[in-house]
Amino acid sequence: MELEVRDVHLHFGGIRALNGVSFSVRGPELIGLIGPNGAGKTTLTNVISGVYKPSQGAVYLNGERISGLPPYQIARRGVGRTFQVTRAFRRMTVLENMLVPAMALHPAGRRQEFVDRAHEILRFLTMDHLALEYARSLSGGQQKLLELGRLLMLDPDLIILDEPFAGVHPKLRETIWEFITTVHQQGKAFIIISHDMETIFTLSQRLLVLNFGQLIADGPPEQVKDDPAVIEAYLGKEE
Amino acid sequence: MKRVDWRWVLTGGALVLALSAPLLLSGYPYWLHVAIVAYFYAILASSWSLLAGYAGQFSFAHMAFMAIGAYGSGLMGKYWGTTPLTGIVLSTLLAGLVGLVIGVLCLRLKGAYLALFTIAFSEVLRLTLNAELDITGGPNGLDLAPLLNTTSRVPYYYLMLALLLASLGFMYWLAGSRFGLFFRSIREDEEAAAAMGVHIVRYKVAAFVITAMIAGLAGGVEAHYIGLITPNILILGQMSIVIAMAVIGGIESLIGAAIGAILIQFSLELLRELGNWRLVAFGLLLMLTLRFARNGLIYPLIERLVLYQARRAVIEGREQKAKQVGEGA
Repeated sequence: MELEVRDVHLHFGGIRALNGVSFSVRGPELIGLIGPNGAGKTTLTNVISGVYKPSQGAVYLNGERISGLPPYQIARRGVGRTFQVTRAFRRMTVLENMLVPAMALHPAGRRQEFVDRAHEILRFLTMDHLALEYARSLSGGQQKLLELGRLLMLDPDLIILDEPFAGVHPKLRETIWEFITTVHQQGKAFIIISHDMETIFTLSQRLLVLNFGQLIADGPPEQVKDDPAVIEAYLGKEE
Repeated sequence: MKRVDWRWVLTGGALVLALSAPLLLSGYPYWLHVAIVAYFYAILASSWSLLAGYAGQFSFAHMAFMAIGAYGSGLMGKYWGTTPLTGIVLSTLLAGLVGLVIGVLCLRLKGAYLALFTIAFSEVLRLTLNAELDITGGPNGLDLAPLLNTTSRVPYYYLMLALLLASLGFMYWLAGSRFGLFFRSIREDEEAAAAMGVHIVRYKVAAFVITAMIAGLAGGVEAHYIGLITPNILILGQMSIVIAMAVIGGIESLIGAAIGAILIQFSLELLRELGNWRLVAFGLLLMLTLRFARNGLIYPLIERLVLYQARRAVIEGREQKAKQVGEGA
Protein backbone atom coordinates (compact mmCIF):
# COMPACT_ATOMS: atom_id res chain seq x y z
CA MET A 1 0.00 0.00 0.00
CA GLU A 2 1.26 3.45 -0.89
CA LEU A 3 -0.59 6.66 -0.22
CA GLU A 4 0.68 9.95 -1.46
CA VAL A 5 -0.81 13.29 -0.47
CA ARG A 6 0.67 15.79 -2.90
CA ASP A 7 0.49 19.56 -2.27
CA VAL A 8 -3.13 19.47 -1.06
CA HIS A 9 -4.91 22.81 -0.57
CA LEU A 10 -8.49 23.18 0.56
CA HIS A 11 -10.30 26.50 0.82
CA PHE A 12 -13.75 27.13 2.30
CA GLY A 13 -14.46 30.60 0.94
CA GLY A 14 -11.72 32.74 2.44
CA ILE A 15 -10.68 30.13 5.01
CA ARG A 16 -7.63 28.06 4.12
CA ALA A 17 -8.29 24.76 5.87
CA LEU A 18 -5.34 22.98 4.25
CA ASN A 19 -2.38 24.76 2.77
CA GLY A 20 0.00 22.71 0.66
CA VAL A 21 0.03 19.48 2.68
CA SER A 22 2.31 16.77 1.30
CA PHE A 23 3.33 13.44 2.79
CA SER A 24 3.27 9.78 1.89
CA VAL A 25 2.56 6.51 3.64
CA ARG A 26 4.55 3.55 2.40
CA GLY A 27 3.61 0.11 3.65
CA PRO A 28 2.16 -0.73 7.05
CA GLU A 29 3.23 2.37 8.95
CA LEU A 30 1.57 3.42 12.19
CA ILE A 31 1.24 7.17 11.94
CA GLY A 32 -0.08 9.64 14.47
CA LEU A 33 -1.65 12.84 13.18
CA ILE A 34 -1.65 15.59 15.78
CA GLY A 35 -2.11 19.32 15.97
CA PRO A 36 -3.97 21.96 17.97
CA ASN A 37 -7.76 22.36 17.59
CA GLY A 38 -8.67 23.64 14.14
CA ALA A 39 -5.31 22.64 12.65
CA GLY A 40 -7.03 20.72 9.81
CA LYS A 41 -6.56 17.11 10.97
CA THR A 42 -10.13 15.96 10.37
CA THR A 43 -10.29 18.02 7.17
CA LEU A 44 -7.22 16.18 5.89
CA THR A 45 -8.81 12.79 6.61
CA ASN A 46 -11.95 14.00 4.85
CA VAL A 47 -9.85 14.84 1.79
CA ILE A 48 -8.13 11.45 1.83
CA SER A 49 -11.44 9.59 2.21
CA GLY A 50 -13.15 11.61 -0.52
CA VAL A 51 -15.63 13.68 1.53
CA TYR A 52 -13.92 16.84 0.28
CA LYS A 53 -12.29 17.38 -3.08
CA PRO A 54 -9.06 19.38 -2.72
CA SER A 55 -9.05 22.89 -4.23
CA GLN A 56 -5.54 22.15 -5.45
CA GLY A 57 -3.21 19.16 -5.32
CA ALA A 58 -4.15 15.50 -5.30
CA VAL A 59 -4.16 12.24 -3.35
CA TYR A 60 -2.82 9.04 -4.89
CA LEU A 61 -3.35 5.49 -3.70
CA ASN A 62 -0.97 2.91 -5.15
CA GLY A 63 -0.14 5.37 -7.94
CA GLU A 64 -3.80 5.97 -8.86
CA ARG A 65 -5.34 9.39 -8.30
CA ILE A 66 -8.22 9.00 -5.83
CA SER A 67 -9.01 12.65 -5.04
CA GLY A 68 -12.26 13.49 -6.82
CA LEU A 69 -13.58 9.95 -6.50
CA PRO A 70 -16.72 9.51 -4.37
CA PRO A 71 -16.09 8.20 -0.83
CA TYR A 72 -17.58 4.76 -1.52
CA GLN A 73 -15.07 4.15 -4.32
CA ILE A 74 -12.15 5.23 -2.15
CA ALA A 75 -13.40 2.91 0.60
CA ARG A 76 -13.59 0.04 -1.88
CA ARG A 77 -10.04 0.79 -3.05
CA GLY A 78 -8.75 0.23 0.46
CA VAL A 79 -9.08 3.34 2.63
CA GLY A 80 -11.24 2.83 5.72
CA ARG A 81 -12.02 5.43 8.33
CA THR A 82 -13.88 6.17 11.53
CA PHE A 83 -15.31 9.53 12.55
CA GLN A 84 -14.58 11.90 15.43
CA VAL A 85 -18.13 11.44 16.71
CA THR A 86 -19.10 7.78 16.63
CA ARG A 87 -21.34 7.00 13.71
CA ALA A 88 -22.65 3.50 14.17
CA PHE A 89 -25.89 2.71 12.32
CA ARG A 90 -27.90 3.09 15.50
CA ARG A 91 -31.19 1.53 14.45
CA MET A 92 -29.50 -1.54 13.04
CA THR A 93 -28.20 -4.49 15.01
CA VAL A 94 -24.49 -4.91 15.67
CA LEU A 95 -24.39 -7.81 13.21
CA GLU A 96 -26.15 -5.78 10.51
CA ASN A 97 -23.66 -2.95 11.06
CA MET A 98 -20.89 -5.44 10.43
CA LEU A 99 -22.48 -6.82 7.27
CA VAL A 100 -22.79 -3.44 5.49
CA PRO A 101 -19.13 -3.02 4.44
CA ALA A 102 -18.63 -6.69 3.62
CA MET A 103 -21.67 -6.81 1.35
CA ALA A 104 -20.79 -3.49 -0.26
CA LEU A 105 -17.30 -4.72 -1.01
CA HIS A 106 -18.23 -8.21 -2.23
CA PRO A 107 -21.55 -8.04 -4.11
CA ALA A 108 -21.27 -11.68 -5.15
CA GLY A 109 -20.23 -12.97 -1.72
CA ARG A 110 -22.23 -15.36 0.42
CA ARG A 111 -24.03 -13.80 3.37
CA GLN A 112 -23.30 -16.74 5.69
CA GLU A 113 -19.56 -16.32 5.15
CA PHE A 114 -19.86 -12.65 6.12
CA VAL A 115 -21.92 -13.55 9.18
CA ASP A 116 -19.28 -16.05 10.29
CA ARG A 117 -16.51 -13.51 9.72
CA ALA A 118 -18.50 -10.87 11.63
CA HIS A 119 -18.88 -13.17 14.64
CA GLU A 120 -15.17 -13.92 14.53
CA ILE A 121 -14.32 -10.20 14.60
CA LEU A 122 -16.90 -9.49 17.30
CA ARG A 123 -15.33 -12.19 19.44
CA PHE A 124 -11.93 -10.50 18.96
CA LEU A 125 -13.53 -7.22 20.06
CA THR A 126 -15.17 -8.98 23.04
CA MET A 127 -18.67 -8.07 21.92
CA ASP A 128 -20.00 -11.18 20.19
CA HIS A 129 -22.70 -11.46 22.86
CA LEU A 130 -24.07 -8.13 21.60
CA ALA A 131 -24.46 -9.25 17.96
CA LEU A 132 -28.25 -9.10 17.98
CA GLU A 133 -28.53 -5.88 20.00
CA TYR A 134 -29.32 -2.59 18.34
CA ALA A 135 -26.26 -0.34 18.05
CA ARG A 136 -28.17 2.44 19.86
CA SER A 137 -28.28 0.30 22.99
CA LEU A 138 -24.45 0.08 23.17
CA SER A 139 -22.31 2.38 25.29
CA GLY A 140 -20.20 5.06 23.58
CA GLY A 141 -17.06 2.92 23.90
CA GLN A 142 -18.79 -0.16 22.54
CA GLN A 143 -19.99 1.87 19.57
CA LYS A 144 -16.38 2.85 18.91
CA LEU A 145 -15.44 -0.83 18.98
CA LEU A 146 -18.26 -1.54 16.57
CA GLU A 147 -16.85 1.06 14.17
CA LEU A 148 -13.49 -0.72 14.36
CA GLY A 149 -15.22 -4.01 13.71
CA ARG A 150 -16.90 -2.57 10.63
CA LEU A 151 -13.48 -1.48 9.40
CA LEU A 152 -12.16 -5.02 9.71
CA MET A 153 -15.10 -6.22 7.63
CA LEU A 154 -14.15 -3.63 5.00
CA ASP A 155 -10.59 -4.96 5.22
CA PRO A 156 -8.84 -1.78 4.02
CA ASP A 157 -5.09 -1.41 3.57
CA LEU A 158 -5.10 2.01 5.22
CA ILE A 159 -7.15 2.69 8.35
CA ILE A 160 -7.80 6.25 9.49
CA LEU A 161 -9.00 6.57 13.09
CA ASP A 162 -10.27 9.93 14.27
CA GLU A 163 -9.94 10.21 18.05
CA PRO A 164 -10.32 6.50 18.83
CA PHE A 165 -9.50 6.95 22.52
CA ALA A 166 -11.66 10.00 23.27
CA GLY A 167 -14.21 9.45 26.05
CA VAL A 168 -13.54 5.73 26.30
CA HIS A 169 -13.52 3.65 29.49
CA PRO A 170 -9.96 2.48 30.41
CA LYS A 171 -10.90 -1.16 29.86
CA LEU A 172 -12.17 -0.46 26.35
CA ARG A 173 -9.15 1.70 25.74
CA GLU A 174 -6.99 -1.37 26.23
CA THR A 175 -9.11 -3.29 23.74
CA ILE A 176 -8.77 -0.48 21.17
CA TRP A 177 -5.00 -0.37 21.75
CA GLU A 178 -4.82 -4.12 21.26
CA PHE A 179 -6.93 -3.81 18.12
CA ILE A 180 -4.57 -1.26 16.61
CA THR A 181 -1.38 -3.14 17.41
CA THR A 182 -2.74 -6.54 16.31
CA VAL A 183 -4.20 -5.25 13.04
CA HIS A 184 -1.02 -3.28 12.37
CA GLN A 185 1.02 -6.45 12.82
CA GLN A 186 -1.22 -8.06 10.21
CA GLY A 187 0.12 -5.54 7.69
CA LYS A 188 -2.35 -2.63 7.80
CA ALA A 189 -1.28 1.01 7.77
CA PHE A 190 -2.81 3.42 10.27
CA ILE A 191 -3.27 7.15 10.49
CA ILE A 192 -4.52 7.97 13.98
CA ILE A 193 -5.73 11.37 15.07
CA SER A 194 -5.59 11.90 18.81
CA HIS A 195 -5.38 14.65 21.38
CA ASP A 196 -4.04 12.15 23.90
CA MET A 197 -0.32 12.98 23.60
CA GLU A 198 0.97 10.23 25.86
CA THR A 199 -0.90 7.54 23.96
CA ILE A 200 -0.12 8.83 20.49
CA PHE A 201 3.59 9.31 21.22
CA THR A 202 3.83 5.77 22.60
CA LEU A 203 1.78 4.11 19.91
CA SER A 204 3.02 5.82 16.73
CA GLN A 205 6.10 4.99 14.71
CA ARG A 206 5.85 8.34 12.95
CA LEU A 207 4.10 11.60 13.73
CA LEU A 208 2.62 14.20 11.41
CA VAL A 209 1.91 17.58 12.97
CA LEU A 210 -0.53 20.03 11.41
CA ASN A 211 -0.94 23.66 12.38
CA PHE A 212 -3.18 26.19 10.59
CA GLY A 213 -3.56 23.75 7.67
CA GLN A 214 0.18 23.29 7.19
CA LEU A 215 2.31 20.26 7.88
CA ILE A 216 4.91 21.58 10.31
CA ALA A 217 6.60 18.33 11.29
CA ASP A 218 6.93 14.79 10.01
CA GLY A 219 9.17 12.25 11.72
CA PRO A 220 9.67 9.79 14.58
CA PRO A 221 7.95 10.80 17.87
CA GLU A 222 11.23 11.41 19.73
CA GLN A 223 12.31 13.84 17.01
CA VAL A 224 8.95 15.60 16.72
CA LYS A 225 8.72 16.02 20.49
CA ASP A 226 11.68 18.39 20.51
CA ASP A 227 10.83 20.19 17.28
CA PRO A 228 10.67 23.95 18.05
CA ALA A 229 7.83 24.48 15.53
CA VAL A 230 5.74 21.83 17.27
CA ILE A 231 6.46 23.25 20.72
CA GLU A 232 5.49 26.68 19.46
CA ALA A 233 2.28 25.38 17.91
CA TYR A 234 1.19 23.84 21.18
CA LEU A 235 2.64 26.22 23.75
CA GLY A 236 2.84 29.47 21.79
CA LYS A 237 5.85 31.64 21.03
CA GLU A 238 8.03 32.79 23.91
CA GLU A 239 7.78 36.57 24.31
CA MET B 1 -39.64 -30.93 20.99
CA LYS B 2 -39.50 -28.37 18.24
CA ARG B 3 -40.50 -24.90 19.37
CA VAL B 4 -43.53 -23.24 17.73
CA ASP B 5 -42.57 -20.33 15.50
CA TRP B 6 -45.33 -17.82 16.20
CA ARG B 7 -44.39 -15.73 13.20
CA TRP B 8 -45.55 -18.47 10.86
CA VAL B 9 -48.62 -19.30 12.96
CA LEU B 10 -49.82 -15.67 12.83
CA THR B 11 -48.95 -15.28 9.14
CA GLY B 12 -50.79 -18.49 8.30
CA GLY B 13 -53.83 -17.42 10.35
CA ALA B 14 -53.97 -14.03 8.64
CA LEU B 15 -53.63 -15.66 5.24
CA VAL B 16 -56.48 -18.10 5.89
CA LEU B 17 -58.66 -15.20 7.09
CA ALA B 18 -57.82 -13.11 4.02
CA LEU B 19 -58.45 -15.98 1.60
CA SER B 20 -61.80 -16.86 3.17
CA ALA B 21 -62.99 -13.24 3.46
CA PRO B 22 -65.16 -13.37 0.29
CA LEU B 23 -67.02 -16.31 1.84
CA LEU B 24 -67.37 -14.60 5.21
CA LEU B 25 -68.49 -11.36 3.55
CA SER B 26 -70.66 -12.98 0.86
CA GLY B 27 -73.75 -11.10 2.02
CA TYR B 28 -71.89 -7.81 2.40
CA PRO B 29 -70.47 -6.67 -0.98
CA TYR B 30 -69.79 -3.20 0.42
CA TRP B 31 -67.37 -4.60 3.00
CA LEU B 32 -65.67 -6.61 0.29
CA HIS B 33 -65.18 -3.30 -1.52
CA VAL B 34 -63.75 -1.80 1.69
CA ALA B 35 -61.33 -4.72 1.90
CA ILE B 36 -60.18 -4.14 -1.70
CA VAL B 37 -59.57 -0.45 -0.97
CA ALA B 38 -57.84 -1.40 2.31
CA TYR B 39 -55.45 -3.68 0.42
CA PHE B 40 -54.80 -0.88 -2.06
CA TYR B 41 -53.86 1.44 0.80
CA ALA B 42 -51.82 -1.36 2.39
CA ILE B 43 -49.70 -1.55 -0.78
CA LEU B 44 -49.22 2.22 -0.74
CA ALA B 45 -48.45 2.43 2.99
CA SER B 46 -46.00 -0.50 2.93
CA SER B 47 -44.18 0.76 -0.17
CA TRP B 48 -43.99 4.23 1.36
CA SER B 49 -42.61 2.56 4.48
CA LEU B 50 -39.87 1.01 2.32
CA LEU B 51 -39.01 4.44 0.94
CA ALA B 52 -39.28 6.48 4.13
CA GLY B 53 -38.86 3.94 6.93
CA TYR B 54 -36.11 1.86 5.36
CA ALA B 55 -34.34 4.25 2.99
CA GLY B 56 -35.06 7.42 5.01
CA GLN B 57 -36.45 9.34 2.02
CA PHE B 58 -39.40 11.21 3.51
CA SER B 59 -41.27 11.79 0.24
CA PHE B 60 -44.76 13.24 -0.20
CA ALA B 61 -44.87 12.22 -3.85
CA HIS B 62 -46.09 8.67 -3.33
CA MET B 63 -49.69 9.43 -4.28
CA ALA B 64 -48.35 11.27 -7.32
CA PHE B 65 -46.62 8.07 -8.49
CA MET B 66 -49.85 6.21 -7.80
CA ALA B 67 -51.73 8.78 -9.90
CA ILE B 68 -49.17 8.44 -12.73
CA GLY B 69 -49.97 4.71 -12.78
CA ALA B 70 -53.72 5.40 -12.78
CA TYR B 71 -53.86 8.32 -15.20
CA GLY B 72 -51.12 6.83 -17.39
CA SER B 73 -53.10 3.66 -17.95
CA GLY B 74 -56.38 5.55 -18.41
CA LEU B 75 -54.92 7.99 -20.93
CA MET B 76 -53.13 5.24 -22.88
CA GLY B 77 -56.46 3.42 -23.14
CA LYS B 78 -58.27 6.59 -24.18
CA TYR B 79 -55.79 7.80 -26.80
CA TRP B 80 -53.87 4.72 -27.91
CA GLY B 81 -56.56 2.12 -27.36
CA THR B 82 -54.36 -0.05 -25.16
CA THR B 83 -55.98 -2.77 -23.06
CA PRO B 84 -56.11 -2.13 -19.31
CA LEU B 85 -53.43 -4.76 -18.71
CA THR B 86 -51.04 -3.22 -21.24
CA GLY B 87 -51.86 0.23 -19.85
CA ILE B 88 -51.09 -0.88 -16.29
CA VAL B 89 -47.76 -2.42 -17.32
CA LEU B 90 -46.69 0.64 -19.32
CA SER B 91 -47.85 3.15 -16.71
CA THR B 92 -46.00 1.18 -14.01
CA LEU B 93 -42.85 1.60 -16.06
CA LEU B 94 -43.71 5.29 -16.56
CA ALA B 95 -44.09 5.74 -12.78
CA GLY B 96 -40.65 4.13 -12.38
CA LEU B 97 -39.16 6.49 -14.95
CA VAL B 98 -40.62 9.55 -13.19
CA GLY B 99 -39.38 8.05 -9.90
CA LEU B 100 -35.91 7.89 -11.43
CA VAL B 101 -36.03 11.58 -12.38
CA ILE B 102 -37.38 12.64 -8.97
CA GLY B 103 -34.84 10.41 -7.23
CA VAL B 104 -31.95 12.01 -9.13
CA LEU B 105 -33.29 15.53 -8.53
CA CYS B 106 -33.69 14.81 -4.80
CA LEU B 107 -30.25 13.26 -4.30
CA ARG B 108 -28.92 16.13 -2.24
CA LEU B 109 -32.19 16.95 -0.49
CA LYS B 110 -32.98 15.76 3.00
CA GLY B 111 -35.69 16.16 5.62
CA ALA B 112 -37.87 19.23 5.18
CA TYR B 113 -36.33 20.13 1.81
CA LEU B 114 -37.11 16.72 0.35
CA ALA B 115 -40.64 16.87 1.79
CA LEU B 116 -41.25 20.34 0.31
CA PHE B 117 -39.82 19.35 -3.07
CA THR B 118 -42.06 16.29 -3.32
CA ILE B 119 -45.13 18.22 -2.13
CA ALA B 120 -44.44 20.78 -4.86
CA PHE B 121 -44.09 18.01 -7.48
CA SER B 122 -47.33 16.43 -6.33
CA GLU B 123 -49.18 19.75 -6.44
CA VAL B 124 -47.82 20.57 -9.92
CA LEU B 125 -49.15 17.22 -11.13
CA ARG B 126 -52.56 17.70 -9.44
CA LEU B 127 -52.99 21.21 -10.85
CA THR B 128 -51.96 20.04 -14.33
CA LEU B 129 -54.45 17.17 -14.23
CA ASN B 130 -57.11 19.62 -13.02
CA ALA B 131 -56.33 22.20 -15.67
CA GLU B 132 -56.13 19.91 -18.71
CA LEU B 133 -59.89 19.42 -19.03
CA ASP B 134 -59.79 18.17 -22.62
CA ILE B 135 -57.17 15.54 -21.99
CA THR B 136 -57.69 14.35 -18.42
CA GLY B 137 -61.28 15.36 -17.81
CA GLY B 138 -60.10 17.85 -15.19
CA PRO B 139 -62.00 17.77 -11.90
CA ASN B 140 -64.69 15.55 -13.48
CA GLY B 141 -62.13 12.79 -13.69
CA LEU B 142 -61.12 10.23 -16.27
CA ASP B 143 -63.18 7.11 -17.00
CA LEU B 144 -61.30 3.84 -17.22
CA ALA B 145 -62.33 0.53 -18.73
CA PRO B 146 -62.72 -2.36 -16.27
CA LEU B 147 -59.72 -4.62 -15.93
CA LEU B 148 -61.81 -7.78 -15.53
CA ASN B 149 -64.96 -8.77 -17.41
CA THR B 150 -67.11 -9.24 -14.36
CA THR B 151 -69.58 -7.38 -12.18
CA SER B 152 -68.53 -9.38 -9.12
CA ARG B 153 -66.10 -7.88 -6.65
CA VAL B 154 -64.63 -11.23 -5.68
CA PRO B 155 -62.10 -11.49 -8.57
CA TYR B 156 -60.96 -7.93 -7.84
CA TYR B 157 -60.64 -8.83 -4.18
CA TYR B 158 -58.32 -11.73 -4.95
CA LEU B 159 -56.44 -9.68 -7.52
CA MET B 160 -55.75 -6.88 -5.02
CA LEU B 161 -54.89 -9.40 -2.30
CA ALA B 162 -52.48 -11.14 -4.68
CA LEU B 163 -50.96 -7.79 -5.57
CA LEU B 164 -50.53 -6.94 -1.88
CA LEU B 165 -48.97 -10.31 -1.07
CA ALA B 166 -46.72 -10.19 -4.13
CA SER B 167 -45.56 -6.64 -3.40
CA LEU B 168 -45.00 -7.46 0.28
CA GLY B 169 -43.12 -10.62 -0.70
CA PHE B 170 -40.97 -8.68 -3.14
CA MET B 171 -40.31 -5.86 -0.65
CA TYR B 172 -39.43 -8.32 2.11
CA TRP B 173 -37.03 -10.08 -0.21
CA LEU B 174 -35.55 -6.69 -1.07
CA ALA B 175 -35.39 -5.62 2.58
CA GLY B 176 -33.64 -8.85 3.50
CA SER B 177 -31.13 -8.49 0.68
CA ARG B 178 -28.18 -6.12 0.38
CA PHE B 179 -30.67 -3.50 -0.88
CA GLY B 180 -32.47 -3.43 2.47
CA LEU B 181 -29.23 -3.38 4.40
CA PHE B 182 -27.89 -0.47 2.34
CA PHE B 183 -31.22 1.40 2.41
CA ARG B 184 -31.14 1.33 6.19
CA SER B 185 -27.48 2.27 6.42
CA ILE B 186 -28.22 5.29 4.19
CA ARG B 187 -31.17 6.22 6.40
CA GLU B 188 -28.95 6.04 9.46
CA ASP B 189 -25.94 7.96 8.17
CA GLU B 190 -25.20 8.60 4.51
CA GLU B 191 -21.60 9.67 5.08
CA ALA B 192 -20.78 6.67 7.25
CA ALA B 193 -22.48 4.33 4.75
CA ALA B 194 -20.39 5.79 1.91
CA ALA B 195 -17.26 5.35 4.04
CA MET B 196 -18.22 1.67 4.30
CA GLY B 197 -18.31 1.36 0.50
CA VAL B 198 -22.06 1.83 -0.11
CA HIS B 199 -22.93 3.46 -3.45
CA ILE B 200 -25.30 6.06 -1.98
CA VAL B 201 -26.57 7.48 -5.29
CA ARG B 202 -27.47 4.10 -6.74
CA TYR B 203 -29.43 2.93 -3.72
CA LYS B 204 -31.25 6.21 -3.05
CA VAL B 205 -32.43 6.39 -6.65
CA ALA B 206 -33.29 2.66 -6.61
CA ALA B 207 -35.52 3.26 -3.57
CA PHE B 208 -37.45 5.94 -5.47
CA VAL B 209 -37.77 3.87 -8.66
CA ILE B 210 -38.89 0.67 -6.96
CA THR B 211 -41.46 2.29 -4.66
CA ALA B 212 -42.74 4.54 -7.47
CA MET B 213 -43.34 1.45 -9.60
CA ILE B 214 -45.18 -0.35 -6.81
CA ALA B 215 -47.37 2.73 -6.19
CA GLY B 216 -47.95 3.13 -9.93
CA LEU B 217 -48.96 -0.52 -10.29
CA ALA B 218 -51.38 -0.29 -7.36
CA GLY B 219 -52.79 2.96 -8.77
CA GLY B 220 -53.37 1.42 -12.20
CA VAL B 221 -55.19 -1.63 -10.83
CA GLU B 222 -57.27 0.41 -8.36
CA ALA B 223 -58.29 2.95 -11.04
CA HIS B 224 -59.45 0.21 -13.41
CA TYR B 225 -61.37 -1.40 -10.54
CA ILE B 226 -63.14 1.83 -9.56
CA GLY B 227 -63.51 2.94 -13.20
CA LEU B 228 -62.81 6.58 -12.48
CA ILE B 229 -59.84 8.63 -11.33
CA THR B 230 -59.93 12.30 -10.30
CA PRO B 231 -57.15 14.73 -9.35
CA ASN B 232 -58.59 14.79 -5.82
CA ILE B 233 -56.62 11.62 -5.08
CA LEU B 234 -53.55 13.88 -5.11
CA ILE B 235 -54.63 16.31 -2.42
CA LEU B 236 -52.25 16.52 0.51
CA GLY B 237 -54.89 14.99 2.79
CA GLN B 238 -54.79 11.73 0.83
CA MET B 239 -51.00 11.53 1.08
CA SER B 240 -51.28 12.32 4.78
CA ILE B 241 -53.63 9.35 5.23
CA VAL B 242 -51.08 7.00 3.66
CA ILE B 243 -48.31 8.43 5.84
CA ALA B 244 -50.49 8.18 8.94
CA MET B 245 -51.32 4.54 8.14
CA ALA B 246 -47.61 3.75 7.85
CA VAL B 247 -46.70 5.71 10.98
CA ILE B 248 -49.43 4.17 13.13
CA GLY B 249 -48.62 0.68 11.82
CA GLY B 250 -44.89 1.23 12.11
CA ILE B 251 -42.88 3.24 9.66
CA GLU B 252 -39.93 0.83 9.79
CA SER B 253 -41.99 -2.26 9.17
CA LEU B 254 -43.53 -3.25 5.84
CA ILE B 255 -46.04 -5.61 7.39
CA GLY B 256 -46.71 -3.16 10.24
CA ALA B 257 -47.56 -0.42 7.73
CA ALA B 258 -49.75 -2.81 5.72
CA ILE B 259 -51.66 -4.00 8.81
CA GLY B 260 -51.95 -0.38 9.98
CA ALA B 261 -53.47 0.59 6.62
CA ILE B 262 -55.98 -2.26 6.66
CA LEU B 263 -57.07 -1.61 10.26
CA ILE B 264 -57.38 2.12 9.71
CA GLN B 265 -59.31 1.76 6.45
CA PHE B 266 -61.81 -0.55 8.16
CA SER B 267 -61.98 1.73 11.23
CA LEU B 268 -62.67 4.75 9.06
CA GLU B 269 -65.55 2.91 7.42
CA LEU B 270 -66.92 1.62 10.72
CA LEU B 271 -66.88 5.15 12.12
CA ARG B 272 -68.41 6.73 9.01
CA GLU B 273 -71.45 7.87 11.02
CA LEU B 274 -69.19 10.21 12.94
CA GLY B 275 -68.54 12.20 9.77
CA ASN B 276 -65.44 14.37 9.97
CA TRP B 277 -65.02 13.56 13.65
CA ARG B 278 -63.59 10.18 12.70
CA LEU B 279 -60.78 12.02 10.92
CA VAL B 280 -60.26 14.12 14.05
CA ALA B 281 -60.01 10.94 16.13
CA PHE B 282 -57.67 9.49 13.54
CA GLY B 283 -55.50 12.64 13.68
CA LEU B 284 -55.37 12.43 17.48
CA LEU B 285 -54.32 8.79 17.25
CA LEU B 286 -51.54 9.81 14.89
CA MET B 287 -50.37 12.55 17.28
CA LEU B 288 -50.40 10.16 20.23
CA THR B 289 -48.49 7.55 18.23
CA LEU B 290 -45.82 10.06 17.24
CA ARG B 291 -45.52 11.28 20.81
CA PHE B 292 -45.60 8.00 22.71
CA ALA B 293 -44.90 5.19 20.23
CA ARG B 294 -42.53 6.40 17.56
CA ASN B 295 -42.18 2.91 16.15
CA GLY B 296 -45.93 2.69 15.65
CA LEU B 297 -48.45 0.46 17.37
CA ILE B 298 -48.04 -2.74 15.33
CA TYR B 299 -44.28 -2.79 14.68
CA PRO B 300 -43.14 -3.11 18.32
CA LEU B 301 -45.21 -6.28 18.66
CA ILE B 302 -43.69 -7.75 15.50
CA GLU B 303 -40.19 -6.66 16.55
CA ARG B 304 -40.53 -8.40 19.90
CA LEU B 305 -41.71 -11.55 18.22
CA VAL B 306 -38.91 -11.56 15.63
CA LEU B 307 -36.15 -10.78 18.13
CA TYR B 308 -37.55 -13.35 20.55
CA GLN B 309 -37.48 -16.03 17.86
CA ALA B 310 -33.98 -14.98 16.71
CA ARG B 311 -32.64 -15.10 20.27
CA ARG B 312 -34.29 -18.49 20.84
CA ALA B 313 -32.62 -19.79 17.66
CA VAL B 314 -29.19 -18.58 18.87
CA ILE B 315 -29.68 -20.08 22.36
CA GLU B 316 -30.94 -23.38 20.93
CA GLY B 317 -27.99 -23.46 18.52
CA ARG B 318 -25.56 -22.99 21.41
CA GLU B 319 -27.33 -25.63 23.51
CA GLN B 320 -27.18 -28.09 20.62
CA LYS B 321 -23.49 -27.38 20.05
CA ALA B 322 -22.73 -27.82 23.77
CA LYS B 323 -24.64 -31.11 23.72
CA GLN B 324 -22.67 -32.34 20.71
CA VAL B 325 -19.39 -31.36 22.37
CA GLY B 326 -20.49 -33.18 25.54
CA GLU B 327 -21.41 -36.31 23.62
CA GLY B 328 -18.08 -36.17 21.74
CA ALA B 329 -16.18 -36.02 25.02
